[in-house]
Amino acid sequence: MNTAPTNVDLINRLAAEYVLGTLRGAARRRLERWRGTSSLVDERCRFWEEGFMPLLLGLRAIQPPAHVWQGIRARLGLPATARRNRVRRYALAASVLLVTALAALLYWRTLAPPRAAEVATISAPSGALLWQVEIYAAPGTAAQLSVRAGTLAMPPAGRDYELWALPKGTSPVSLGLLPYRHNAARRALTVAQQQALANAAQLAVSIEPPGGSPTGQPTGAVVFLVPLRTVS
Amino acid sequence: MSAGAEADRELDARLTDLLRGCAQSDSEALQRLYALVSPTLFACLTRMLRRRALAEEALQDVFVTIWQRAHQFRPERGRPMAWLVSIARYRAIDLLRHERFAAVLVADLPEGAGAAEEAQEEPGASLPGAGLLERCLALLTQQQRRCLELAFVGGNSHADVARLVGSPLGTVKSWIRRGLQSLKACLDA
Repeated sequence: MNTAPTNVDLINRLAAEYVLGTLRGAARRRLERWRGTSSLVDERCRFWEEGFMPLLLGLRAIQPPAHVWQGIRARLGLPATARRNRVRRYALAASVLLVTALAALLYWRTLAPPRAAEVATISAPSGALLWQVEIYAAPGTAAQLSVRAGTLAMPPAGRDYELWALPKGTSPVSLGLLPYRHNAARRALTVAQQQALANAAQLAVSIEPPGGSPTGQPTGAVVFLVPLRTVS
Repeated sequence: MSAGAEADRELDARLTDLLRGCAQSDSEALQRLYALVSPTLFACLTRMLRRRALAEEALQDVFVTIWQRAHQFRPERGRPMAWLVSIARYRAIDLLRHERFAAVLVADLPEGAGAAEEAQEEPGASLPGAGLLERCLALLTQQQRRCLELAFVGGNSHADVARLVGSPLGTVKSWIRRGLQSLKACLDA
């Protein structure tokens, strides 16, 4: 069939299986072609793409290694900054040596530790530091959460401490379990976590079953509530 | 408007601005977009392709495509995150459709690995926009829901889903078809 069918139920079923990924092979290629020519096919595909999207946003974010971005930039022939662009033109024209120097510069820049944008300190009533929380959101790097545990940060018996962002006017969003005893955790933030943090003035810590809240919301006692401070 | 909906709109506006920048060949916009969404897209690709090196290569392909097609994105026709996620998923499905990849993937996966991974994931319920889908998925039978998730999130074919849930292919196809019918009725309502 070269032209898209007009049976709405059939189009809907094929579009759903296309978006789901179970429509494969020649049938998949054919639907892709129809999508380019039929507004109905396109509309049905978008319906399913938006409908299913939240399932994927629930995946735990994974920070890609730095060389992936460098590869994209290389493939597209993009400069990292205007200044580097000028250097790069010289490098290309002048010498392999200069190219090597530029690569070293890019390497150093990528590895240079970013500056925390927001911080929160969680302390025991005695004043002893339990956790230092830092949010990194420097342009050009994925937003990350870093948590360092102090000496006295110990797990509650048979349970875990879970960290939450408290966005204004909406439900808490989990930022994961807290590390213990001098350990540090660093993880990439999901889009949902970044959004929650952008609208949050406070972080909370709750006591949860081992491995974290089974519901996605705090289920145990909230034991710490601390302000999230922007670093100027 | 609820705070959640407002947060969704803010995110959409930010992503739309960045895509507009990409369409105008602003490489800084691409870099900011990458910083914002690459961990989510990489998680999606890693989950579907199951091999880190392949997922890294696919992520590069995805951002090259985003840069080249940003001018085609129409905010009035859909949400930017759905557009971005779809580019990543379809790239992964394209890679998966090659038999040689599929053969390696099946061999790589220990029995029941899919189920174990599934259980470790954070629930979608806490995410913006997840509420309606969650409510609709809750209306499906357990088998229908599991099959849809294995296909959509895991990038599994009908045959892979049948193998993972240990049911005949025809039964799995029927669960998926009926699950999609129920979801459509609920999402449309």
